Amino acid sequence: MTNRGFFDSDHKTQCFLLIAMMLFKTFFSRLALTLMLMVSLMASSIAQDASGGDGIPTDEATISAGQSLFEDNCTVCHAVHEVVVGPALKDVHERRPLDWIQSFIRNSQKVIQSGDEYAVKLYEEYNKTEMTSFDFSNEEINSILAYIKVESGKTPVAAAEEPAADGASATQAGASEGVSDFVMYALVINLVILVLILIVLAMIVRVLTKYLEQKSDLDVEDQEIISARFSLAALFKSKPMIAIMTILFVAVITKTVIDSLFHVGVQQGYAPVQPIAFSHEIHAGQYDIDCNYCHTGVTKSKNANIPSANICMNCHSAIKTDSDEIAKIYAAVENNQPIEWVRVHNLPDLAYFNHSQHVKVGGLECQQCHGEVETMEVVRQEAPLTMGWCIDCHRTTEVNSKGNAYYDKLVELHAEHSKEPMRVEDIGGLECSKCHY
Amino acid sequence: MRFNWNTLFVGALAATALFGCTKAGGENQGVEYAPNMYHSVAYEPLKQITDKEAGSWLSNREDGLGEFFNSNVNNPHEMNMREPVAGTVKRDENGFLPYRLPADSLAYAAEVVKSPFEKTEAVVANGKALYEKFCIQCHGDTGQGDGKVGVVFKGVPSYSKGRVAEVSEGHIFHVITHGKGRMGAHGSQLNQKERWEIVAYVQQLQNQ
Repeated sequence: MTNRGFFDSDHKTQCFLLIAMMLFKTFFSRLALTLMLMVSLMASSIAQDASGGDGIPTDEATISAGQSLFEDNCTVCHAVHEVVVGPALKDVHERRPLDWIQSFIRNSQKVIQSGDEYAVKLYEEYNKTEMTSFDFSNEEINSILAYIKVESGKTPVAAAEEPAADGASATQAGASEGVSDFVMYALVINLVILVLILIVLAMIVRVLTKYLEQKSDLDVEDQEIISARFSLAALFKSKPMIAIMTILFVAVITKTVIDSLFHVGVQQGYAPVQPIAFSHEIHAGQYDIDCNYCHTGVTKSKNANIPSANICMNCHSAIKTDSDEIAKIYAAVENNQPIEWVRVHNLPDLAYFNHSQHVKVGGLECQQCHGEVETMEVVRQEAPLTMGWCIDCHRTTEVNSKGNAYYDKLVELHAEHSKEPMRVEDIGGLECSKCHY
Repeated sequence: MRFNWNTLFVGALAATALFGCTKAGGENQGVEYAPNMYHSVAYEPLKQITDKEAGSWLSNREDGLGEFFNSNVNNPHEMNMREPVAGTVKRDENGFLPYRLPADSLAYAAEVVKSPFEKTEAVVANGKALYEKFCIQCHGDTGQGDGKVGVVFKGVPSYSKGRVAEVSEGHIFHVITHGKGRMGAHGSQLNQKERWEIVAYVQQLQNQ
């Protein structure tokens, strides 16, 4: 075979060199272009600084003074890279002239009423929200603008909080998976060992049988044992086997039935799907929002209450506004339509329970009866809510009588005939009519 | 007597079918022991069953509806709860009449509205407890606007810096009631006494 054509050895080198040269050329030209661009940019920025271009100071001290002014006064309504209450302030010095900004900060209403077109448009765009007037000097305003200008140059920091939290939960999940993996491995290893033992035993039996079969001086009974063959059918038809199986069968069925009977009327574990995929894990866990913030009735009434949509809107006016689930809240608010949450804890109507009595007076934590709701993606009924469960707690819980004058006399009377602390059962916590009437 | 395996097997299946579904979990509410005693006859505020057929298998209601049907058909959306009658004025459990200044009278409220409570230690302590339930998630434990939600929500000021450090008690009360800027109205979650207690504690945080 001949090695002809473009790719013979000489040509190969030549070709390689050619391509390399071309690549280098383009690379150098690009580099040169970039360098030139950078130099020109730097030059222009230096030129601007030197002439004081937009009149905004650039020294460090002014910028840090501007930063503290901005953080103390402006962050309530403004951020540099995003709209909060008022507009985002990125490159605001390029949008409006300096004296316009100064007069708007000092008295925005005056600028709007003077009929300034831009100001009026802004006012309309932001739902006629009046900007608070700030009595700042020109220097102070310039320092704030200096800070905003510096910040404008930086790329916005994406919410660093969430990935971190996600990471934490991911490692947690990993840890719990690790545990179950370990159990799994242990089980498999055990199984393998057991099977090995079985094989070894079978081999020993076989060897022994063979050895015994060769012996001729055995009596008839022993001969029978050795030559006996295992028969599955015979085993199942044997009377003891039938008896054992029957007893086992009846026992298992009886236990299932009794267990099931004990679950009648107990809704422990009930975790219905809700109309909105609300996660207590995110709200009460990750963001640590107190239960009472939404369940406003818990210290005041019999019911803890399901929050109305206006409480959701305290945060979701601005948070996750594009989520499909949150859109359901917006729709409910707009149409004045109730959100039909599914009630999880259904105490039978025959029993009375009062939240404020337990939470406000008794000082119980919500988690004591509801479990760790802050870790639940979907809420489920954690406690059995049976009478025995209530009574158990009434027998062991000491009355939270500290600082509550209502109990003073009762504590005194109780102390007269008992050295034990006053428990709920001592003040009628076991009386039928306390809960059933 | 010859033992009949089939009888036992069928019996076992029947028992499992009968009792297998008693345990609650997921969407399954389990089996109720005495449904007539579990379901309220009176309207329940936080429970509403709009299905007229629900529990008709044991119903002996005169109106012929299901035993579990529990909604007030006369209310909008058949709700059991009802808004107060228009024009009525509620006096709350502490004897307060409604706070009537509208949301846009912040400047007026800041000057005129004064706390009816003395700022005793007990009032401030109550305020702190309430603050830690209702405010801390945005405003942070020292009122610097650095609560876990506040950081994500943005636009939460520090109590002790800039203009916010100087606002009056009337201003704080009005803002808790009606909200301001990004903050939502919290008047529905806190009664007036609680709001004034929080104001007392916030004023302490302003001067830290």
